[in-house]
Amino acid sequence: MLVNDALRRSGVGVAPDAAIFIAAGVMAASGVGALAVIDAGRLVGIVTDRDLVRRGLARRMPETARVDSVMSTPPATIPGTADLDDAYIAFRAAGVRRLAVVNDQGQFLGMLTVDDLLVRLAANLRDVTRPVASEVQTPHHGMSSPPEFDTDEARRPVVPL
Amino acid sequence: MEAKVGDRIVIKGHHIGEPDRDCEVLEVHGESGGPPYLVRWGDSGHESLFFPGPDAAVQQLHRPETR
Repeated sequence: MLVNDALRRSGVGVAPDAAIFIAAGVMAASGVGALAVIDAGRLVGIVTDRDLVRRGLARRMPETARVDSVMSTPPATIPGTADLDDAYIAFRAAGVRRLAVVNDQGQFLGMLTVDDLLVRLAANLRDVTRPVASEVQTPHHGMSSPPEFDTDEARRPVVPL
Repeated sequence: MEAKVGDRIVIKGHHIGEPDRDCEVLEVHGESGGPPYLVRWGDSGHESLFFPGPDAAVQQLHRPETR
């Protein structure tokens, strides 16, 4: 599977000179916690809700401060055509929770999050455990349907009297 | 995805109880109606670039037929 196929959410971006209160408003309205910072079509950074708090509010920046003063740059990226297994390596290497997915020209396509991978892992785990769980709950030892219960046999004493 | 200026994009909520969100396309920056789009968010009126994913769907603005 490719990274492009694992994207679950739309991506949202702002300009580097946007005010941080605008970025916060866009996050609230769009429901995303990280924005791509795009300058003339080029991805230059990522700003997260955590950045706004730790680098903005905590340092008493004015709400009109520019986004590029609190963003992370250069952004951690991964090509959309990369294998999804490479994303695990990239997350580990970069130590981040979000990777900006880019095309061959380096243009932003969307944001891949650790949560996306966890949701996919959980779904895969559910798929492989379903047959096992079914076997444990209703053992049938490979038969297509469980054997019929012989009531006469069940009533017969185990030890002849 | 293809969109035109004035179209509405709806983004489905990802969690139970999370509302759908919507925005209006103000500018089309891609080729042939493709993304990214400059949009205005319905909730706040803020503008941003939008890169649609599988959670987004376009509701096209009704336009009268031209002859």
